[in-house]
Amino acid sequence: MIKSVQKIIKKWRQEKEYKKKLAELRKRDPFTYKNF
Amino acid sequence: MIKLGISAFYHDSAACLIVDDKVIAAAEEERFTGIKHDSSFPVNAIKYCLEEGRIKISDIKEVCWYEKPKKKEERVYKIFNKRPLRTLLLRFKAKKRFKEQNPFLVLKSIGYKGRVKFVDHHRSHTNFSYYTSPYKEAAILTIDGVGEFETITISKGQGNTITKIHSIDFPHSLGMLYSTITSFLGFKPNEGEYKVMGLAPYGDPRRYFEKLNKLFKGSGSNLYLLQRYFTWEYSEQVMFNKRLCRLLELPPRLPEEEVTQKHKDLAAALQKIYEREFIYLVRKSKELTGTTNLCLGGGCAYNGVANALAYKYFDSVHIPFAPSDAGSAIGACLRKHTDITPYLGPEYRDKQIYKALSKYKDKIQYFKLSEKKLIRKTAQLLTAQNIIGWFQGRMEFGARALGNRSILASPRHPIMRERLNQVIKKREGFRPFAPSVPKEEASKFFHLKEDIPYMNQVVKGRTMLIPSATHIDGSCRVQTVTEEQNPIYYKLLQEIGGMCNIPVLLNTSFNLKDQTITLDPQQAIERFLNSRINFLVINNFLIKKK
Repeated sequence: MIKSVQKIIKKWRQEKEYKKKLAELRKRDPFTYKNF
Repeated sequence: MIKLGISAFYHDSAACLIVDDKVIAAAEEERFTGIKHDSSFPVNAIKYCLEEGRIKISDIKEVCWYEKPKKKEERVYKIFNKRPLRTLLLRFKAKKRFKEQNPFLVLKSIGYKGRVKFVDHHRSHTNFSYYTSPYKEAAILTIDGVGEFETITISKGQGNTITKIHSIDFPHSLGMLYSTITSFLGFKPNEGEYKVMGLAPYGDPRRYFEKLNKLFKGSGSNLYLLQRYFTWEYSEQVMFNKRLCRLLELPPRLPEEEVTQKHKDLAAALQKIYEREFIYLVRKSKELTGTTNLCLGGGCAYNGVANALAYKYFDSVHIPFAPSDAGSAIGACLRKHTDITPYLGPEYRDKQIYKALSKYKDKIQYFKLSEKKLIRKTAQLLTAQNIIGWFQGRMEFGARALGNRSILASPRHPIMRERLNQVIKKREGFRPFAPSVPKEEASKFFHLKEDIPYMNQVVKGRTMLIPSATHIDGSCRVQTVTEEQNPIYYKLLQEIGGMCNIPVLLNTSFNLKDQTITLDPQQAIERFLNSRINFLVINNFLIKKK
């Protein structure tokens, strides 16, 4: 039970970090890549 | 027939001038504007080409454009139509951009009203690679991000005829996959791929190989990338989405963050995956053409580690000096084999050099020497572990400095690499430097199958005597130099060999952090003064700081 809760929390933290980093990258011009 | 070749509006804009099938001049726009990989219309490069050819724009009989904008537009809208609402804003942006970048309009703005010939993007790569090769028959494999629709092509060249045999279309693109992981690792796409290649030997590919493998559907030479991990079809911002982070169980790295072992492992896995796909394509090229020679083109042909694997199926491999979009300015114009040199850019006379030197007379001391004395003195300085800015003759075309706009150092001392990376170029410590060696001495120091005149293959070193030019895995991105190709640089290497028995020099492009390669004497002196480069050589002038 504790393990599965820990797993959920870990996943939630990861998701939060991915979201934060992606939002940060979107703001930065060097990360744009023109495909047209 | 006078032709002007143009590559513009994507990355690495460039122009070239061809008179009766001979390439007279060529340059990338970035050298004039100082903007790395400048994609703007190459007005400055065109101006230089016209000056070099001593002609006016009205003398041009044909402009050869490196791709077909209408076809590209068709692809872009076709992709947008898959997600009409999500791409609505992007559609307006694209429409505006296509209007502004209309080749007829931009050419009119520089006074050209004549014929414009549009050549398929990958055909321009193919032409440049095959027509600059020594082969009468060859397979031609081009791999890049995307052209109009195609991302990979396989063709056969016979005599002056090229026949396309196989192609793979967008969004299935090895080039874009490499760029995506490059940006995931915190480096700039279309620029940082070199860094990822340099980082790969520090990592273990096993950690992420299977995960990256999940990006592919099936295997073999019919590349199919699962688009659910990428945003290429509907976004111009970040190239990947949260699903890729979940798959890799790794957040993307921001540029300012530390490079961890996980990042190194991801770079290693990407390189391995790329090599696997590359070998599938090389094998397919062999099967479809049955030839013993291979020409490589497109931006991915800068992947020297993968390029060296092509010898598994081919006896001889040719990679031109500018296989990416810059070289396509030349490729668009070529219709038959041509003798070509990479030294196609501006050169400067003594009068212009004196003018630049006099501007900085309070800060520098200079001596004009005979060629023999200059070579002797420079070799002495290099063997004494000095770092030399080396500026000679015409500027190189393409991403590599091939001995005319180079920073040179002795590779014998292990500390030299660190000194150059951290003090001079102020770049990441993991990035390797390339060694230059006279052609006839190359096999003593490196395991190579053929000459590598343009530094586009990575081979294993044979010796521990050049630690600063050897990567962590014992590999080297070699440049073999001949007297015919670059006489003064060749003589310098021979002189070094005479002094210390190792005719090898560490050769890196003459630029400091985030700068484009040096164009003219003034820029060379400024960079010399703003760095810890010990001496500067401009043609026959030896320059030192006061």
